[in-house]
Amino acid sequence: MAEPMPMPRSGATDSTIVTVAPGWAVVAVAILGALVVAAAALDGALSARASGEGGGGSGGVARPFGEAARLMRQRRRTTVEADSLLWRAGGGGLLITAVLMVTVIPLGEWTVFDLDVGVMWFNAMDVLVWALVWLTGWGPNSAHSLVGGYRFLAHGLGYELPLMFALVAPAIAAESLNVGEVAAAQEGLWFAVWMPVAFLVYLLGVVAFSVWGPFSPALGTDIAGGARAELAGVDRLVFETGRYALLAAGAAFAVPMFLGGGAGPLLPTWAWVLVKTAAVLAVLVWLRRRVPAFRPDKFMEVGWMVLIPAVLLQDLVVAVVMVGRS
Amino acid sequence: MGLSDMVARAAARHAHVLVVETPGWWRTRAMVEREVLARGWSLAFAPADADVLVVCGKPGPQLAEAVELVWHQMPGPRVRVGVTEDDDVAPCLDGAHSRLLDTDHHMDDARQRPAASELLAEHSGMDHGGMDHGGMDHGGMDHGGMDHGGMDHGGMDHGGMDHGGMDHGGMDHGGMDHGGMDHGGGHGGMDHWGGHEGMDHGDGHEGMDHGGGHEGMDHGRHGDMDMSPSGIPLAQGGDDRDGLEMDVLDVRLGPVLPHWPAGLVLRCSLQGDVVTEARAELLDGEQPREAAAAPLARRLDNIASLLALAGWDDAAAEARSLRDVVLAPGDDPTVGRVARLRRRVRRSWTLRWSLRGVRPLSEDDVRQLGLPAHAGGDAYDRLIGMLDRAAAGDETASTGDAAGHTHDVDRTLSADLLAHLVTGLDLATARLVVASLDLDGLRAGHAEHEMSHG
Amino acid sequence: MTVLLDIAFWALGLVAVLAGAAVFYVDSMARATYALALSFIAVGLQVLFLQQNYVGVVTILMMVMEMAIMAVYMVMFMGMNPALMPMSMVHDHRAALGVAAATFLGLAAGILVVDWPERRGSPPPDVTVALGEALMGEKMLVMAVISPVMVATIVAGVVLAAHRTRYDRFGDNLKRRPADDPQAGGVGR
Repeated sequence: MAEPMPMPRSGATDSTIVTVAPGWAVVAVAILGALVVAAAALDGALSARASGEGGGGSGGVARPFGEAARLMRQRRRTTVEADSLLWRAGGGGLLITAVLMVTVIPLGEWTVFDLDVGVMWFNAMDVLVWALVWLTGWGPNSAHSLVGGYRFLAHGLGYELPLMFALVAPAIAAESLNVGEVAAAQEGLWFAVWMPVAFLVYLLGVVAFSVWGPFSPALGTDIAGGARAELAGVDRLVFETGRYALLAAGAAFAVPMFLGGGAGPLLPTWAWVLVKTAAVLAVLVWLRRRVPAFRPDKFMEVGWMVLIPAVLLQDLVVAVVMVGRS
Repeated sequence: MGLSDMVARAAARHAHVLVVETPGWWRTRAMVEREVLARGWSLAFAPADADVLVVCGKPGPQLAEAVELVWHQMPGPRVRVGVTEDDDVAPCLDGAHSRLLDTDHHMDDARQRPAASELLAEHSGMDHGGMDHGGMDHGGMDHGGMDHGGMDHGGMDHGGMDHGGMDHGGMDHGGMDHGGMDHGGGHGGMDHWGGHEGMDHGDGHEGMDHGGGHEGMDHGRHGDMDMSPSGIPLAQGGDDRDGLEMDVLDVRLGPVLPHWPAGLVLRCSLQGDVVTEARAELLDGEQPREAAAAPLARRLDNIASLLALAGWDDAAAEARSLRDVVLAPGDDPTVGRVARLRRRVRRSWTLRWSLRGVRPLSEDDVRQLGLPAHAGGDAYDRLIGMLDRAAAGDETASTGDAAGHTHDVDRTLSADLLAHLVTGLDLATARLVVASLDLDGLRAGHAEHEMSHG
Repeated sequence: MTVLLDIAFWALGLVAVLAGAAVFYVDSMARATYALALSFIAVGLQVLFLQQNYVGVVTILMMVMEMAIMAVYMVMFMGMNPALMPMSMVHDHRAALGVAAATFLGLAAGILVVDWPERRGSPPPDVTVALGEALMGEKMLVMAVISPVMVATIVAGVVLAAHRTRYDRFGDNLKRRPADDPQAGGVGR
C-alpha cells in the first residue's frame, strides 16, 4: 500500500488560502445553519405576503421556527412495507451533502478543506442528490412518493450535464480546479461578467439540485408532495432543512466560482463572501415566487437541445480567450 | 410554562390542515381554506403533512370510509373536525387549535392507535365481493389463508431463473407452484420481510398508507396470488406505449386529494407515471347540485387549482384570495384585481410553455364528447378562457356560442368521460387536464358518451 | 496523524469490501444497487488517500450517477417490485461461489507471488498528471479517435433500438409539424 498522506496542495503558488483546523468545520456548519434559517424566513415572509395574510402576526418571518416546532412535536411515521433504511438515508443525506459541499468553499482566506480538485468535489456532491432524492421517494413504498423520486431523476438528466459544463468554464479560465485559485483568478473581472451563460446555467443547476422552485415537480402538489409525501415529524424537518442547506451551499459556491470570491471594497474578504452569498440566496428564494414548475418531460429537451449547446459554446469562448491570452 | 408547552404553542400556531370536501359543500371548503390561511396556518398536501383534518359537509358512507383511512395515516398530534355550517368555520378551527394543544390527549391517542397489521387484518375480514371498499382496496386478498410465517420468500431459490431475459408479462403468478419452492433449504432463519423488520408496528407511529389511494389493487388480476407482502400485490407487467414491457401499478387518485374534484375516485393503471387505463367512480353516487352558487368564485377557485398544479404558488394564492373576496359578503370591487391576475398569468411564458399542447381538443372533439364549448383548445387556452370569463365577470359565459350548447350552464361532466380524457397522459398532465376543464361538479353516467370511448 | 490516516484507509477498505459483499446478500434491487454505490464511494475515498484526488472524486461522481440510473433500469426491467418482494440477488449459487473463490485465490496469489519492484526516486509533484501521462501519453490520438466513435455507436444503437422512426413522428413525407409524439418535448420539435 502506498503511504497515505495528508491532502497535497499542488500548484499552490499565488493563492493565499489558509486551511484552518478541522474544528472550525463547526463554524462552517453554523454559518450554513444561519443561511438556512434566513432563507426559510425570507420564504415564509414572501409566502405570507403572496397569500395576503398576516402569517400569524410576524409577517411570516417566524414561520420556519413555528414549522420546526411543529415537526419536532409531530410523530415520525412509517408505511407498510417501507424500506426504512434507504428511506431515512435518503432524507437525512441531503443535509450531510450540503455540509460536505461547504467544506471546500473558502470564506475569504480560510477554508476547511483545501482540495486541489474542489470544483469536482462540489460536482460529485451535487450528484449524490440524485441518489438521495430517489431513495427518499423509493423508501416509503408509496406510489406518489415513487413518482416524485423518478421525476427528480428525469430532471437530473436534463440539468446535470449543463451544470457540469457550466462549472468547467471558470475552471478553464482559472486553469485550476481548486476553488481558492478560481476565486483568485478573478482579479478585476468577475467570471459572472464575462461568462454569463455559464453563470446562469450554474444558478439553474443550484435551483435544480435543491429541488426548489421551478424544479420542484418531484415534490409537486399534483402528487401529494411527491418524494416527501410520506415524511412526517423530524424526518420531514431534516429533509426540508437539507433542501434549504443545498440551496445555501449552492449560492455560497457561486461566490468563489463566478462572483470574485471575497473581493470587494471596505469590508474584509470573509464579510464579502457572506454578503454575496446572502444576495444570491435571496434571489434564488425569491425566484420560486415568480416561475411555475418546469415539467420534467418538457425540461429534458430544453436541457439537451438548448442548455448543453449554449454552455458548450460558452466553454469554447472561454477556452479560446484563454489560449489567446497565453 | 415548560419548553414542551412553548413548542406545542408554536406548533399549533403553524398547523397544517387537510381539507376534505364532500360533494356539494364547495362553499364550506372555500371558507375553511380562507380561515386556515387567515390564521397563518397552511393547507396540507397529504395526510403525512397534516395536523388537522377538516371534513366539510356530511360525507356519505364511502367517503366517510376514505376519510377514516386518511385519519389513520395522519402522524399525530392529530385533530379531526367536521364543519357543516358556514358560520361554524371559525369556532371549529378554534376548537381544533385548543385540542392541538392538549398534549395528554395526543399521548393517549398515540397509545391507542391500531397498528398497521391490525388495520390490514380488519380489512381482510370485509366483504370482498362488491369491490366497494371506499378508501381501501384490499378486497380480494385472503389474509386468513395466507401463511406468511411459514413462507420464506427471502430464501426463494431464483437461481436457475434468468431475470434479465425473463418475460414477466407472460408469467402466471397465480399458477406458480409455491409448494415446489424450497422453503427450507438453509434459509430457515431468514427474516421473511428481508430487513423490513426495522419497521415498528407496535407503537402507533405508522401512518397506514392506503387511503390516499397509494396502493390500490386490482382484484381480478391478483386475486389468486399470495405472493403479496403485507397483502400488497406485486405489479404485473404489460406493454407500454413505446412497446417496452413495464410494470403496471394500480393506483387510486382521490377522493382525498387537494385540487381534485370532490368525491371523484379515479382508479388508474400506471406504467411509470403514465395512466394507461382509468376508471372513474363517484363516491356515494350522484352528486347533489349546488344551486348555482357564486359561479365567479367557483371560476376563481378552479383557476387557483390549475395554477397550483402548474407549480405557481403565488399566482394560485392570488386567485384564491380573489375567490375569498368574491365570497365575502359585501361587494368588493374585484374586477380590477382579476384583470391584473389575468395579465400576470398571460405574461408568464414559462406557464404558457408548460401548459401548451396539454390535451388539445378540437371543436369536433368538444362537440362529440359533449363538453362545454369553452373546453376547446389545449390546457393553456382553457386557463386563459377561464381568466377571460372571470375578468368579464360573466357568469354564464357562453361567449360567441349561441348554437345551443346547453352544457355551458350545466358545468358538470360525466366522470367516465373524465377517465377517458386522462388516459394516455402522465400523472402531472392528467391532473392539469382535470383542473383545466373548469368543472362545477361531476355526474355519473355511461351511456351518453359510450361511442367516444373507442 | 499517520496512524489515524492508516486506520481510516483500512476502514474504508473494509467498508468497500463489505458493501460489495452486501450486493449479493441483500434481497432488494434498490439495496443491492446502493450497496454497490457505497462500495464505490469507499473506493473513491481510498483513491483520495493515494493522492489521486481527481481520479478519486471522479470515481465517486460517476459511480453515484451511474448507480442512480442503474437502479431505475433494474427496477424497470426486472419485473418484480423488489421493495415489497424480497428476492435473491444471486443466480446459480454454487457455481458462482466456486468461481468467486477461485478468482479471489488466483488474484491474491498473484499479489503475493509477484516480485514487486522497489521504489526508485520519489513520486512526482502531481501524481494525477503522471498517471495521465503514463496511461495516455502515447495513445492520445487513439483515445481522441475512439471517443467520437463510441458516442456514434451509442447514438446509432439507440436509433436502431427505438420503436418509432422519424416517419412515425413526421408523417410519410416528413412534413408534419409539430411531430406526433406520445409525449411532446419542450422545444417544440
